[in-house]
Amino acid sequence: MVQAESLTKRYRKAVAVEGLTFRVGPGEVYALLGPNGAGKTTTLRLLSTLVRPSAGRALVAGFDVMREPIEVRRNLGLVNGGMRVYERLTGREVLEFFAGFYGLKGRAFLQALDWVVDLLEMEETLDKKVGEMSTGMRQKVVIARAILHRPKVLLLDEATAGLDVFARRALLDFVKAYRDLGHAVIYSTHVMGEAEEVADRVGFLHRGRLVYEGSRDEALALGEGSLERAFVREVGRA
Amino acid sequence: MEAVLRIFRKELVQVFRDRKLVFSTLVLPVLLMPVFMFGPSLFLSRLMQGAAEKVQEVAVAGLPQEALKALEEARLEPVPHPDPEKAVREGRYPAGVAFREGVYRVYGRLASGLTESQVVVEKVKGALQALKEAKVAEALRRAGLPQEVLSPFGVEVVDASPPRERAGGLLGFLLPFFLVVFVLSGGQVVAVDATAGEKEKGTLEALLAAPVPLVQVALGKTLATVAMALLSGVAGLLGLALGGAWSARFGGGVLTERGETLALGGQVSLDGGSFLALFLTAFLLALFMGAVMVALGLYARSFKEAQSYMAPLQLLFLLPLLFLQFRGFLEIEAWHYLLPLFNVALLMDALLKGSATPLEVGFTWASTLVYALLALGLAVWVFGREDVVFRN
Repeated sequence: MVQAESLTKRYRKAVAVEGLTFRVGPGEVYALLGPNGAGKTTTLRLLSTLVRPSAGRALVAGFDVMREPIEVRRNLGLVNGGMRVYERLTGREVLEFFAGFYGLKGRAFLQALDWVVDLLEMEETLDKKVGEMSTGMRQKVVIARAILHRPKVLLLDEATAGLDVFARRALLDFVKAYRDLGHAVIYSTHVMGEAEEVADRVGFLHRGRLVYEGSRDEALALGEGSLERAFVREVGRA
Repeated sequence: MEAVLRIFRKELVQVFRDRKLVFSTLVLPVLLMPVFMFGPSLFLSRLMQGAAEKVQEVAVAGLPQEALKALEEARLEPVPHPDPEKAVREGRYPAGVAFREGVYRVYGRLASGLTESQVVVEKVKGALQALKEAKVAEALRRAGLPQEVLSPFGVEVVDASPPRERAGGLLGFLLPFFLVVFVLSGGQVVAVDATAGEKEKGTLEALLAAPVPLVQVALGKTLATVAMALLSGVAGLLGLALGGAWSARFGGGVLTERGETLALGGQVSLDGGSFLALFLTAFLLALFMGAVMVALGLYARSFKEAQSYMAPLQLLFLLPLLFLQFRGFLEIEAWHYLLPLFNVALLMDALLKGSATPLEVGFTWASTLVYALLALGLAVWVFGREDVVFRN
């Protein structure tokens, strides 16, 4: 579903990510782990066509990020921790606004809305202006916007940042539920505990390079039951 | 195109849900323009009238009886003082007069703009001038000469402007000037909010991740900017019209730096075609300026930075219009209608005066459309620059 080959991004003299090669299949959560500045956000921006690769290539749902950016965007949803939606619109208006870009109008939109409202338990957000919502409610709208069109690939970048314990729990449950629907999820975070819970496979990113890739259970074994220990060990070896 | 309309609508809904913003952008100009344009001159004319009717004390020294009488007849009260200049300097009298060696010296505090002192000095000068003319007339009568000897012929200046040009008065200059001011101030509200504002609030990334070509995102935001700019322009012109009506009813006009009030005397009588042409010209102008503002707004790191770009931009846009004041001295040629902004001002002036030719209209519209498309291209290019979009 997602295929990156030698994906590289350079900004003038700085290298943000270099030579990334990985694959994520349908029904799989791939956790991209690393500290701040490791290149996680750049990787997801490359996959979502917001930035262009300096070298290498990537396919999302079979579409090339360089040559078919619109088709790539049509097949993915992106959520990051700093992402917000329009404060003066209601939850319903925000979702309707974005749904239109994916051709979801009229009955199709209402059906998509019912589905997402059930999945995220967000009935109360629909008629409320985003500016009047709690952080957790806002985050639900942000996520709903990203999955309303049921993208084959969902990219989550530090998506639990700033969330309270209930909202965080709801998000982690949602990630697993979305995976179970057969979609591919790339879950980028520096919080190893979250990855331990939701990931099927993990990739350790350090200074723009993928220093380790394997299944969650293999990584846990490597770190004697802790992804954090495994990460520190692999980064030390790199 | 549907995505363009979707973005356009969303931007405007967001703006119109901010009541304070709507009030300050669309309502306040209607209320403030009449006060701003005509209030000071109306207030001043009332003050001048009051000062002219009031009897003021004047310090005098060495004045003959006939001069004292002339001052009294001009509603002034002469008060003997050994040094009228000092008395005026110290602020004890608004004006003073001393007569020495056949010269009347009139003293006033004239360096601080229009004051009561100036008005009193004018009253003194008028009284002494009337006295002088009476004495000359008396001397002529004694010499047996007719009074006409002093004015062997008359001079009369007649305004030969075409009727529509005369009716337009200063509007030919004021209309484009205020249109640009209001188009900019109204447009920047949307332009800044839809670009740097979205970046700062973290909403832009979600929009850019949607399957919409960048050109449509830029166009949607630019059209929303244009719509708000035009609404703001209409509000400003409505305020100007209200001010004109107020001025016609109560007097007043534009205050000049010499303290004179210049009657606007402007009235617009446009046929349907000219009105449509004027609107299309304003639309193209707003499209051009809107695209520039969107490009500049997105380039900024933050809302504040974007706003800081808008003030110099306003000055830059107004600069060509200032030269419109001197159009009477210029030999206007066809290529002038290709100069950005200046062409719009020239065309609006010509449309109001009914003198626009098809060539002038064609040159202005075509060139402004090209400038607008170039600016839109710039906006799209800026939207495509990842180092700009993500630099905050």
